[in-house]
Amino acid sequence: MSAPAISETRRRVPIVILIAALIVTAMVICAILGEKIAPDSPFLQRLGVGDTPPSPVHVAGTDLLGRDVLSRVIYGARTALVGPVVVAAGAFAIATLLGLLSGYLGGLVDSAIMRWVDFMFALPGPLVAIVVVGVVGGGYWTAVLVLAVLFSAPDTRIVRSAVLEQRPLPYIDAARTLGISRTRILFVHILPNIAPIILAYVVLDFAFALVNLAGLSFLGLGVEPGTPDWGRMLFENRSILFSNPVALLLPAVMIILTAVSMNLIGDWLYERFAK
Amino acid sequence: MKTVVARAGQEGPLLTVEGLAIAHGAVPITTPLDIVVERGDAIAIVGESGSGKSLMARAIAGLLPPGIVATGAVTLDGIPLMRLAEREFRKIRGSRVSMLMQNPFTMLNPLMRSGDHVDEMLRDRPEFVSRAARAQEVKRRLAEVGIVDEDVARRMPFQLSGGMCQRVALAAALARDPDLLIADEPSTALDATTQAEIIKLLRRVQRERHMSLILITHNLRLAFSTCRRIYVLYAGSMLEVGDAATVERRPFHPYTLGLLRSEPPVDVRMPRLVPIRGSVPRAADVADSCGFADRCDWVTNVCRTGKPSLAARDANRFTACIRQEEIQGELDALRMAAHSFAPITPRREATTGALVRVDALVKTFLGRRSRPICAINGVSLHIMPGESVGLVGESGSGKTTLARCLVGLETPTAGDILIDGIAATDFAAMTKADRGRIRRAIQMIFQDPYSTLNPRHSVGQALGEALGASAGATSPATPERIASLLADVGLPAAYATRRPESLSGGERQRIAIARALAVKPAILVCDEPVSALDVSVQAQVLNLFRRLQAEHALSYLFITHDLAVVRQIAERIYVLYLGEIVEEGPTESVISNPRHPYTRRLVESIPRSLIQRAP
Repeated sequence: MSAPAISETRRRVPIVILIAALIVTAMVICAILGEKIAPDSPFLQRLGVGDTPPSPVHVAGTDLLGRDVLSRVIYGARTALVGPVVVAAGAFAIATLLGLLSGYLGGLVDSAIMRWVDFMFALPGPLVAIVVVGVVGGGYWTAVLVLAVLFSAPDTRIVRSAVLEQRPLPYIDAARTLGISRTRILFVHILPNIAPIILAYVVLDFAFALVNLAGLSFLGLGVEPGTPDWGRMLFENRSILFSNPVALLLPAVMIILTAVSMNLIGDWLYERFAK
Repeated sequence: MKTVVARAGQEGPLLTVEGLAIAHGAVPITTPLDIVVERGDAIAIVGESGSGKSLMARAIAGLLPPGIVATGAVTLDGIPLMRLAEREFRKIRGSRVSMLMQNPFTMLNPLMRSGDHVDEMLRDRPEFVSRAARAQEVKRRLAEVGIVDEDVARRMPFQLSGGMCQRVALAAALARDPDLLIADEPSTALDATTQAEIIKLLRRVQRERHMSLILITHNLRLAFSTCRRIYVLYAGSMLEVGDAATVERRPFHPYTLGLLRSEPPVDVRMPRLVPIRGSVPRAADVADSCGFADRCDWVTNVCRTGKPSLAARDANRFTACIRQEEIQGELDALRMAAHSFAPITPRREATTGALVRVDALVKTFLGRRSRPICAINGVSLHIMPGESVGLVGESGSGKTTLARCLVGLETPTAGDILIDGIAATDFAAMTKADRGRIRRAIQMIFQDPYSTLNPRHSVGQALGEALGASAGATSPATPERIASLLADVGLPAAYATRRPESLSGGERQRIAIARALAVKPAILVCDEPVSALDVSVQAQVLNLFRRLQAEHALSYLFITHDLAVVRQIAERIYVLYLGEIVEEGPTESVISNPRHPYTRRLVESIPRSLIQRAP
């Protein structure tokens, strides 16, 4: 009966989330202002120098071709962020549309969409991406497209169940008895109410996409050779693990930090707004 | 019963609560409260939502939710409960203090057979070690709460009705023979007729066992008819304490008087109900003044300087009203004022030109394994223009399904619906123009005020959208039109910018009514529109319904389980029972002279007032 007032402590942002947000912000700045921040060109090869451990000139050392590792990591933020953003946005758009239709209309539409989702679930995600990119070609952007479609399947289920929760509420019934159009009910009434849940999952999608794309790059199916990319750096710098470990560890740490930060933020958003 | 003898030998009250203050962090939920429960006594804690009554019950039983803390002293038979460790407290719960909760369905473990709930409580008693002895005892215990069908013990909770579940829960709560039973709104979630049975059962058990009872309820009538002593709790402070009979006859606090007066009587139709203005405040907001000050007709500056404490006024009576002595004369006069009643001129029995006509309507749903479940079965009714018709029935009688068929939210399986001369049986089969006309002719008000408005839309947006849906709406809704809608339901124009979360239940229901009125409907279908509201607010909304009917020549189909509410609103009623109409006629004659056995049971289930009204 007597609902206790929401305490102030629940509203404060925890310190971990602040740190995570700070890390993500730093990544975004690197991605946008790469040229201005990087101490050196990421492409300049110094074949005579080869791989060197960290030194005052090259803070993170150089790779096999003598390129500055730190600069490559900073430039790498771009492919690390752009792809996952596109994947998350694409998955969001597909999932929202399908989920809204499926949940609100029900019946045949619902069955058809859900069978499609079931089919997508049955596919082993990264493997499909490998096959498609291998057969069709197109590298990075093909992989992004495939992941967006694959990620939309679980999100569609989430959106659908959120819609099913809203649908029987009287405010929807009231809109229906007023003769408000279906499109308006879907996008003006239901969508804003389920947006927090979708947002939380989109952030989680981003983290998954980042790891998946890095994995594909590692396998040589992502970005073009030579592009500064964290996943690709893992692959290229395997052989110099002992001469300059930083060249391998730094991109690995970046992938982990970004993915964990986004996961934390996504979880927190979900706890905070969607429950 | 040997335990009874042992208990009677002890002296002093069974339970004393002294200075029990509950807080959520730094936010106070109640001021320090005192309660005394004698052995074998029944007391009631009466309060509206947010009064802190449920948390108080939980504090006594040591079951406060995390984050909520209680200070003060609770003494049960000499044991200081608040100082017990959780391990020790566990031995007290069940065997000395038991609780009965509001929702019978969530109180039982859904994976345990109903008999096992009782069995579990008996398990650690030495006399019931053997399985056979326990089975015998479970049977006896279930019989005590009126369950004689032995099959019930083997059934799962979801196979039982709400009333049955509550009986099983009561048997489990009583299994260790507690000295004190705390019943938190034990009948609120049940149908009217079941409610009466459960309360009767509770009283019988309490007397037979000479057990103490704390009944937590929002229903004054129920409290007066069940308990000897009444504690009136409001926004976290105790406003009045006294014996039931004297409090009912002569309340010492304006709030108690207001509650008594705002409860709609079932026996007469009043020209206007007497509401208490405003809505229930939060305890933290009225920490430094009388909690009722803002809603009181006798408020002076004195009332707002500091929190008045409960003071003795009589041998057994306490009130927190500091002006009680000055104003008691006025309170008495109002209390004793005979109800004036408004006779209804009965309409002629014509049915031609009916606004709504329903013929042999059937609606079946597909149940489990595609077995059809009949929600309404051959219902026929009509509503004349400007007429207010009541539809009475318990949960599961099909009254909400009928309402949803009328406004096109469900499509009937068979039968005909005619609204304003247009066939409106299947909304999908109608022409667009016809559908638009029907949508504007009939509107619905929903039960739950908390989800009837879109939480993301401001009041202005909600009303603007509804205005946009009305006939010939070409231009966007002007602020003036929104303001006039708000004025219609008695709210200031400034509410247009508010969001639903900042509104009280009563205010939300007003907005919902304004939204329905935006399309200028001829009839409103109201599905339990006041049953989720606080008693002191119900009267306001009922008065609003009556005023709107006069001003807009509205018709109502007023769906409710509460005969007192329907008495105030409807001229004619239909009684729906298991999907069929079993009785119909003018409200007056159906309530005073019910013919069908079900209607008779319904009328008898209303808790009667202890004092006779002046004829």
